[in-house]
Amino acid sequence: MITLQTIVDELGLVVLTEARDFGAVTPASGYASDLLSCVMAGAQKRSVWVTLQAHANIVAVAALLDLSAIIITEGAMPDAASIARANQEGINLLSTPEPTYTVVGRLWELGLHTG
Amino acid sequence: MDAEPLRTDRVITDGAANLISRVEELAYELTIAEVMSRDPRAIAPGTKMGEVMETFREARISGAPVVANGELVGIVSLEDLIRALRESNIQAPVGEYMTRMVLTVKAHSPLIEALKVFEQRHVGRLPVVDDDNRLVGIITKGDITSGVMRALQYDYQEEEVRKYRARHLFEDIVSDRTSLTLRYKIAHGAFAQGGNASSHIKRALLRLGASPQIARRCGIAIYEAEMNLIIHATNGGMIRIEIEPHRILMEAIDDGPGIYDVEQAMQPGYSTAPDSIRELGFGAGMGLKNIQRCVDDMYIDSTPGRGTRLELRINMPPQESLGDAARKTGTTEERDDHTTNHRR
Amino acid sequence: MKLTELIQLIDGAVLTRGADLNRDVRGGCGADLMSDVLAYSQPDAVLLTGLCTSQVVRTAMMADVAAIIFVRDKQPTEEMIQLANREQIPLISSPHGMFEVCGRLHNAGLQSLEHAYDEG
Repeated sequence: MITLQTIVDELGLVVLTEARDFGAVTPASGYASDLLSCVMAGAQKRSVWVTLQAHANIVAVAALLDLSAIIITEGAMPDAASIARANQEGINLLSTPEPTYTVVGRLWELGLHTG
Repeated sequence: MDAEPLRTDRVITDGAANLISRVEELAYELTIAEVMSRDPRAIAPGTKMGEVMETFREARISGAPVVANGELVGIVSLEDLIRALRESNIQAPVGEYMTRMVLTVKAHSPLIEALKVFEQRHVGRLPVVDDDNRLVGIITKGDITSGVMRALQYDYQEEEVRKYRARHLFEDIVSDRTSLTLRYKIAHGAFAQGGNASSHIKRALLRLGASPQIARRCGIAIYEAEMNLIIHATNGGMIRIEIEPHRILMEAIDDGPGIYDVEQAMQPGYSTAPDSIRELGFGAGMGLKNIQRCVDDMYIDSTPGRGTRLELRINMPPQESLGDAARKTGTTEERDDHTTNHRR
Repeated sequence: MKLTELIQLIDGAVLTRGADLNRDVRGGCGADLMSDVLAYSQPDAVLLTGLCTSQVVRTAMMADVAAIIFVRDKQPTEEMIQLANREQIPLISSPHGMFEVCGRLHNAGLQSLEHAYDEG
């Protein structure tokens, strides 16, 4: 089973939230969308959510749905308050300059598929 | 040897498909009168078949209508002539060999009517009559083909002339300052119409001979500006484009609410748009930055409570001035690229 | 990759008429934020999106997008289809989600046609 640590290493992701034992986090699936309403309707528990949205509400949605991590693409940067909130809620925020399409392609290759 | 399959992977390209549909359209647009041969050689029923042969040879035709007292009574063709020859009856009058039940078409009918008859009845020619059933012409499949070809050729020339005119628009207008101005009113909240103005502008630029790159940059910048007016401007606003040979000036003006902090509004990700707008795919705080990336100069003049004026400029690379009107001695632009001026 | 191959890979259904489906596509771009597409997509990219409004078609026109794939069986309105027909932009609907569609196409060798983020 793939761990979040492998994902962070393989994709060279920047960890925005507090360091944690990512080796113990095992995402079940992946989900990609920039529309919160779609994520609310479609993302599975313990999935990795790929989006270029960086505003505060993504943390709330991830906490609500019990997602494993959010990969924020294209270098979009959440503000300090959102990062603090994510730390509080135990949401892992990861960042990359790559676009969503490439990130999902790489995750797919690593064996993370749709839930 | 195996016969070659007739249609393996036969691809109809866009061009071919357009042409085919244009021909179909022409079959409805053109009237029979427009493609028929006028003043056909009418033959009297008493004429001898031998004389018909001479007429056919002289006029290089293979059939002719038979008219008695101004009325169409039949049609005589090469086949009838051959029949008469075979029966050694070349002295017989036309009336004996002609086809009597003559199918006719009306002069003002669309071409498709003649095509239908040709398709269903396997005849080579059709007499064309007016509303009073008087013979006015004759139409063959060949007439239809050449009529359609002429029309297509005409279309093509029209298109070329239109393109030429557009490209030379600026050359032909002699003035000190040649430009084309387009204005669009943008209504607040009109999401469904969002992008109408920018589509028109992009199309206009391409017609004027702008490169796809320039048209794309302009289109993107003005589309973002248009969406901004729709999302944010209290009473909507106006977009004004001035196209000159060497540059394109764009302006988006509204009367409120105004931007409180232009510096902050320029920050990627900063947005005052509500979630409802984000769910429509906009309002992610990328708009202004995006506009800036597309233009050579951007200038924002905004007063809270009063309104915002966004001014954009794209300079044309010298080799692709619009309208081919690159007068080499023309204006010299100072290119202070990517500078943004903020004024409060 | 030919557009026809791409359509097969994602179990897509073509919703428009007339556009050339035999054309080659150079790469993909997946986003629901149209500003992102306008900012970072390159001309001739196939746009994968879960957004289904007329703004998607307008954005595609502005950004010279080669074809639009609506993920998760999103059905465009008749008005959008007409607009796309006029502009000769194929609209394709896939039953799969964005993650699945991106994954399948990337895996089949279709590269990304989105610039990575830059400071410009």
